Amino acid sequence: MLNSIRPNKRTILLYLFVPVLIFVFTVFYPLCRAVIYSFFEWKGGPNMTFNGLANYRMLFADKVFWQAFWHNIYLVVVCIIGQMGLAFILVMFANSRLTHAKAIHRTFGFFPSTISAVCIGMIWNIIYLQDGLLNTVLNRLGLITGNWMSWPNWLGTGNVMLAVSIPLVWQYIGYYMVIMFSAIAGIDSEIFESAEIDGANGFQKAVKITLPLIKNTILVCLTLCIAGNMKAFDNIYVMTQGGPGTASMVMAMYGYNTSFRDSNLGYGSTISVAIFVLSLAVIGGSQWLVKRTTKGVEA
Amino acid sequence: MKKLACFLLCLVMLCTCISAFAATDVAANDLAYKGTLSVMHFSTSEESEGNGGSDGFRTVIAAWNAAHPEIELNENVIANAEYKTKIAALAAANDLPDVFLLQGMNTIAWSEQGLVLDLTDIIAQSPYYADYNTAYFTPFTTQGKTYGYPVLTGGTCTVVIYDKAMWKEAGYDAFPTTWEEVEKASEYFNAQGIVTVAFGNGGQWQMNSDFVSTLGNRYTGPEWFASLIAKEGAAFTDEAFVACLKETKRLFCDTKIFNSNFNTVTNEDAREYYIAGQAAAFIGGNWDESYIAATLKDADAEKWANIGFAVLPQPADATKAPTSQNIGLGYAVAINPKIAEDADKLAAAIDLAQELTGPAFSSYVAENYALGGLTAAGEVDLSKFDQITQDFYNWSYVDTETCEIYDSYINSAVWGVFNQDLQAMLNGDKTAEEVAQNAQAAYEANY
Repeated sequence: MLNSIRPNKRTILLYLFVPVLIFVFTVFYPLCRAVIYSFFEWKGGPNMTFNGLANYRMLFADKVFWQAFWHNIYLVVVCIIGQMGLAFILVMFANSRLTHAKAIHRTFGFFPSTISAVCIGMIWNIIYLQDGLLNTVLNRLGLITGNWMSWPNWLGTGNVMLAVSIPLVWQYIGYYMVIMFSAIAGIDSEIFESAEIDGANGFQKAVKITLPLIKNTILVCLTLCIAGNMKAFDNIYVMTQGGPGTASMVMAMYGYNTSFRDSNLGYGSTISVAIFVLSLAVIGGSQWLVKRTTKGVEA
Repeated sequence: MKKLACFLLCLVMLCTCISAFAATDVAANDLAYKGTLSVMHFSTSEESEGNGGSDGFRTVIAAWNAAHPEIELNENVIANAEYKTKIAALAAANDLPDVFLLQGMNTIAWSEQGLVLDLTDIIAQSPYYADYNTAYFTPFTTQGKTYGYPVLTGGTCTVVIYDKAMWKEAGYDAFPTTWEEVEKASEYFNAQGIVTVAFGNGGQWQMNSDFVSTLGNRYTGPEWFASLIAKEGAAFTDEAFVACLKETKRLFCDTKIFNSNFNTVTNEDAREYYIAGQAAAFIGGNWDESYIAATLKDADAEKWANIGFAVLPQPADATKAPTSQNIGLGYAVAINPKIAEDADKLAAAIDLAQELTGPAFSSYVAENYALGGLTAAGEVDLSKFDQITQDFYNWSYVDTETCEIYDSYINSAVWGVFNQDLQAMLNGDKTAEEVAQNAQAAYEANY
């Protein structure tokens, strides 16, 4: 039956031609060019000098780049816990029979994902100001005292990475909630009912039933979360530009600075290639780890 | 009645247009070129409100456009921060517009890449050459060749704007001339819950342009920076410059003179502390002065009347130029060498560059803002300006000694590293010596 309504191969290729063409010219071609440029000393303009692996040697010795890489890893960890972990908990609560107006929870949960990263960065900058919303609330609660000049400077302290991570978590919780909502909707409700008859509580249902049954969706979320945070740029660009100094520098921001602020496009391309390779390694590594650790559970 | 209203409205609009063009007369030279000329700049309409240089630029370009209807100006106007990124990307792609604004620090790199036209002989033949302030060409000149017409207005990058009434209450008739006195005054202001001096370095460039560039001159004198530009032996690691960095760190980290969040707020945020009365003084550039004066004039006439101007106080161990402030023209009108193939088009581009920096521009900014540009506009009649404008004019051009703006020279790769490290140093993550060593390494690798 399916074969009778399935388009022939020529039609499928015709349909795929345009998106594949777009993909090749917007992703694959620039990536190939970046790989080529990464072997050149190129300070902008028409003149480029082939310098072999010099840019890669520089990359391995570049402390700022590796500091930025670890900042990305920090973001990945915080966001996996914050975005996916909180999203799962909220989905569990929202799916409970005791929760009313589930559609409203879904809509408002997803709402921050629709705001541009630039606006979110600016909003949180205002919240974090020394005389901003957060400090004012803490002051009203009596948790900080004195005048505003002595209040905490959230983006200037050693906690700047945490401070820039929180808006990212807030922004994308709803995004993962929607994905998990749809995955959970696919689980047969009879499974939960039988578990309830057997006396399972909410926590047991979440961990013993829901999590294993949406494992593939969790893996997709994990991939999206890692990929998104390995190339994090816009929020940080708006909030700190990687500062103070390089205290919140991430790889994409460093690549951007190197390419456009310092006009060093050859080395900037090397950084782009490194971001691609390292992101693939982290995504691959995390998927291998998840599959390995859950192998026993499935069995 | 409706027809009469429409007629009157049209008449008013027509008069407005005529008066706008009549305000600035550019030389309507005969140009053979007919076609389009692409121009990219950052004098947006928002920027031009209260900013004399941008307003003058927009006015002259509109007048030139009207004087040459056969040439279609294809203007690409974006805000300054975005302009820097976009023009760098276009330069990298060798796809620059016909006419654009060249930042001083890009002169060497872009001229080596053949991205900017050598204008040395063309400038020498300019009808306005005799009236040019030739010192302004220095950032755009390398190896004896000049690559641009310095544009916009020559404004300071380091001015202390202070509230005379607040400092009077603290026991000072004028802003202190030494940092020791400022530190002493900060005890009084801090007890009042007021920031003594507001500063914003969130964008990283402010500490360099608006502070170190002048403070460095107090330690090294102008010869050191001239030697650094000419690669004649001066180094960032020289003792005098390191002393300047140490003093900068002491002032921002060890005293309570500045707002503690100076490293995370921008100059735009910091100047609001001054406007709101949360700070007794502010350090910034001429663009901040014009914003503060324009805002206070409308919002708080008394505070506006109390605006005072001062140079950076002198550090105890600095021995050079105690009244110096950095001033200059950071951008120049440059021309894409590709259009040299079409002699008529090149003539049109040169004419536009000359008018944008010529007497039409200088007269406009002198008459309307008491500001100066590349071309001398004759004696400025200050009497028709308000007191604050007069004070700022005298402070900028008469009463103070001038020095160079660091980041108008050398190149962006060096300043990018320096600015980033400077911010890290003031966050307690680096020493003055480390900042100097890294800047020197970037200087040797990229310049």
